[in-house]
Amino acid sequence: MSAARLIARKEAGELLLSLRGLSWLMAVAVALSVFGLLLVSNTELSLLDNAQVVYDMVAIVTALGGLLALVVGLDAVAGERERGSLVALLLTPASRDAILSGKLGGIAVAWAVMYALALPYLWAVGSTGQNLREAVTILAVLGSPVVLGFGFFGMALGARLATARTALLTGLIGLMISASPLLLGPSLRQSAIGRAFDVINPISAAVNAYDGVIIDSQPVLGQWPHALLAAAWLVLALWLARSGFRRVAR
Amino acid sequence: MKLVGLLFALGLALVANPSSAETLSVDLRPAAANAASPQMGDRLSFRTTIRNDGTAAVHGLIAWISLVQLDKGKEQPVDLEDWSAHKAVTAASLAPGQILETDWPMRLIQAGTYRVVVSAVSRGSAGLVVSPFADFTVRQKPVVESQRVLPVALGLPLLIAVAMLWRRRRR
Repeated sequence: MSAARLIARKEAGELLLSLRGLSWLMAVAVALSVFGLLLVSNTELSLLDNAQVVYDMVAIVTALGGLLALVVGLDAVAGERERGSLVALLLTPASRDAILSGKLGGIAVAWAVMYALALPYLWAVGSTGQNLREAVTILAVLGSPVVLGFGFFGMALGARLATARTALLTGLIGLMISASPLLLGPSLRQSAIGRAFDVINPISAAVNAYDGVIIDSQPVLGQWPHALLAAAWLVLALWLARSGFRRVAR
Repeated sequence: MKLVGLLFALGLALVANPSSAETLSVDLRPAAANAASPQMGDRLSFRTTIRNDGTAAVHGLIAWISLVQLDKGKEQPVDLEDWSAHKAVTAASLAPGQILETDWPMRLIQAGTYRVVVSAVSRGSAGLVVSPFADFTVRQKPVVESQRVLPVALGLPLLIAVAMLWRRRRR
C-alpha cells in the first residue's frame, strides 16, 4: 500500500473510529436533526416551502461540511504538530507530497462521510420529491469542491500559523464571512457590495446554484459558471495547502 | 331646460362609461377535469370566454387573473408567481361578436379557501370588466412528514452514540 493511501486510511479511521471523530459526526447529526425536528413542528408550510426546506438543508450541509473539513484540515497539520506526531511523520521515508496527498484524502473521506450522513436527512425533509434528486446531485457537484476547498484552506492555515488555536480562529472567521449569504436576505445581497462578494465567494456560488436548481428547477448543467468559481476556489486552496505544507516540511 | 339637463347627464354617463367597457363580457368557469376536492400540489385550470358584444371593435385588450385567499384572519391577495406562469393574456383587437377563450392553469401551493376572478380592460375603456367569481378550497397536504423525519432525526444521532459507546468500551 502506498504511503499516501496509508495516511488517508489512518486519517479516515480517526474520523470514523476515534471518539474525537465520532463526536464531530455526532455534532453534525444533532445539528441536522434539530433542523429536521423544527420543520416537523411547523404546520404552516406551503408546498413551495418543501423546495425551500430542501434548499435550506443542502445549504446547512454545505456550511457544516465546510466546518468539518476546516477542522479536519487544521487538525491534520496544526493538531498533529501540537500532539508532537507531525515531526515523526515527516521523518518517515514517505515523500512530502505523499504525506500531503494522504492528508487531503482524509479530508475527502470526511466529506464523503458527511455527505452520506446528509442523504437520509434530505430524503426525510424532501417528502414531495420536488427536485430532490437534483438537490442531491448539485450538492455533490457544487458542495464537494467548496467543502474540500475549506479543508485544504484549513491545512494551509494549520501549516502557516504558529498555533492551532490561532489557525482555528482565523479559519472560523473566514468560514463565517464566506457563509454569510446563508444568513443575509436577498435584498442585502443585491447591493453592489453583495453582488461583488458573490462573484468571488465560493459559498455564494454553491448557494446560487442550489437556488437555481432546487427552487427554480433550472438544469444542473446550467450551473457551470458557479461550478467554475467553486473549482477555482478548490485549486487555490489546494495550492495554499501545498505551499504551506512544504514550508512545514522545511 | 329639462332637455339640456338630460343631454348633459347622458354626456357625463358616456364619458364615465365609454362604450368599449360595456361591450366586453367575461365568463369564467372551472375546467371539467378539475378535482372536486383538490389538495396542495394538484393542478387546477379555469377557462374564460371574453366576448365583444358591441358593434365596434375593441382594441388593446388585456385580461389578467387574480387570486385572493378568503380564510378568516388570512384574507389577502395571493402572489401568483409560484402558482402560475400564465397570469395575463392580451389581444390587439377583438371584433364585434368575436370571442377570446383562455385557459388559466395553476398549481395549488398552499391550503386554504380561495377566489379566482379574471379582469379585462381595453385601451379605450375607463372601466373594468370582471368575470364571475370561482371559489375553491385546497386541502392541506403534509409538506414535511413526521413519519419520515422522526426516525432519521432521532435514529442517526442514536446510532452514532451507540458507536461512541462501543468505541469507549473497546478502549
